[in-house]
Amino acid sequence: MGDEHLTFSKFDTLIVERHGPVGWLINNRPDQLNAMSSHMRDEFGDAWLELDADPEVKVIVHTGEGRAFQTGVDVQELATDGMGMERYRESVENWDLHFTAWQQGVQKPVITAVNGICAGGAFHWVAEADIVIAASDAQFFDPHTSVGQVVAIEAIALLRKMPFEAVMRMALVGRYERMNAERAYELGMISQIVDPPERLRDAAQELGETIAKNSPAAMRATKKALWGALEHGLTDGCRAGAQQLVSMWGHPDQTEGPLAFAEKREPRWAP
Amino acid sequence: MYERLIVERRGPVGWLIFDRPDVGNAMDARMMAELEEAWRELDDDPAVRVIVNTGNGRNFQTGLDVAALSRDKEAMTEQSRRTRDAELRFTAWHNQVWTPVIAAVNGSCAGGGLHFVADADIVIAASDATFFDTHVSLGQAMSYEGVGLSHKMAFEPIMRMALVGRTERMPATRARQLGMISQVVDPPDGLRDAAQELAEQVAKNSPAAMRATKKALWGALEHGLTDACRAGAQELVAVWGHPDQTEGPLAFSEKRAAEWETST
Repeated sequence: MGDEHLTFSKFDTLIVERHGPVGWLINNRPDQLNAMSSHMRDEFGDAWLELDADPEVKVIVHTGEGRAFQTGVDVQELATDGMGMERYRESVENWDLHFTAWQQGVQKPVITAVNGICAGGAFHWVAEADIVIAASDAQFFDPHTSVGQVVAIEAIALLRKMPFEAVMRMALVGRYERMNAERAYELGMISQIVDPPERLRDAAQELGETIAKNSPAAMRATKKALWGALEHGLTDGCRAGAQQLVSMWGHPDQTEGPLAFAEKREPRWAP
Repeated sequence: MYERLIVERRGPVGWLIFDRPDVGNAMDARMMAELEEAWRELDDDPAVRVIVNTGNGRNFQTGLDVAALSRDKEAMTEQSRRTRDAELRFTAWHNQVWTPVIAAVNGSCAGGGLHFVADADIVIAASDATFFDTHVSLGQAMSYEGVGLSHKMAFEPIMRMALVGRTERMPATRARQLGMISQVVDPPDGLRDAAQELAEQVAKNSPAAMRATKKALWGALEHGLTDACRAGAQELVAVWGHPDQTEGPLAFSEKRAAEWETST
């Protein structure tokens, strides 16, 4: 994968790059199984916004270096920096978080590509992505309650999107059980298993390029409508969704799409 | 004291067993009253870390005892009022039980029996278990059970169950595919051992953290996503400073079992 983009900031804990229309955000603390330090937490906030702002990027893929996708907050740092979770108290209490695409209001499609271990706080990026695929050797588990911690926000988003019982079982069984990619697929937590695992990034790039063919404006409005639906009861969700639907009427993509289809050519989307 | 239930302890696990096998463990007024008492007793016992709910005989639970109701309408007056006012008290969720609850479904789970599937944290079933809803076949409306389930799994299978009524049964394997349950136990007579084993694993985790987790995750079904996250953040932070929060990582790094606070 060449074609590296030079407009992104230099990050210490992340790799951010572009391949064709696909922006990549790669967790890069493999020796700590990509656990999130305070510094990484800050870098996530910037990286999502840079990728969302780059007009060349149509779709964002998020994955990890090494044998883990992500393993939650960096417990080592918590245990040794003298501040522990207190460092995060204000941002959590005030619901002022910025490390996921959803928290940052990213409007572009986001694909999470789970490599290897996905544990605890890592579920934030499973729950808050639009599409999730995984390598065949991916493993999902949530050790929070096994180390005296509460499962809350990441599972809350997850249980709106898949069967509740599976999420609750993971939360209550803790580190004594792992879910494999096959079960995650059955439950609709992920939509694709990539085998062999080494093909994960190629498959994600391919899926990203496929999605990048669609109208950015239509996908933006679709994301708003469908994520918005998780905020409301059904009738209110439809009312709010109707606003997103109508917001596209008169947009050039609405005529370009059908025209290109009729003329059997690739559509030229407005940015 | 209990005539319709068996309530017992096995290690850290409290067992709540429906015990009217001759009538499919159907609930009469007495059983409903005993259920409220039993959930409270088990949830209040600090030695009980996890509760398993199952049934004696070849049925898990078949809902309201329609025969008893037709014999003596008066006996159900109080339960009818509670149904009307949404003040039911016969499941763990009705009674705000914050100890983890595992439903272990043996045999048929029909009609009102689905309350105990919808309102449990974890559900496992014997391989011969079946799920169906008889309400509309008997001229009754299905409501609470389906509403609860519709927040927890795919909608269409619930609506199908509700509308097809007694002529079709969902097998345990399909219930697992749909994520209504997470484990099928085969052969069926291994169900209680499997439930005890699972419960003992859950019992190793911090009671305080599990209580706050339950509040956060069940609470999430009450709100839109953002509001649920805000409310969940409060449950998360509420446990910061609790001794289990430092004991957990410490025990992990020292490769020993954690010693959890057992009170609140």
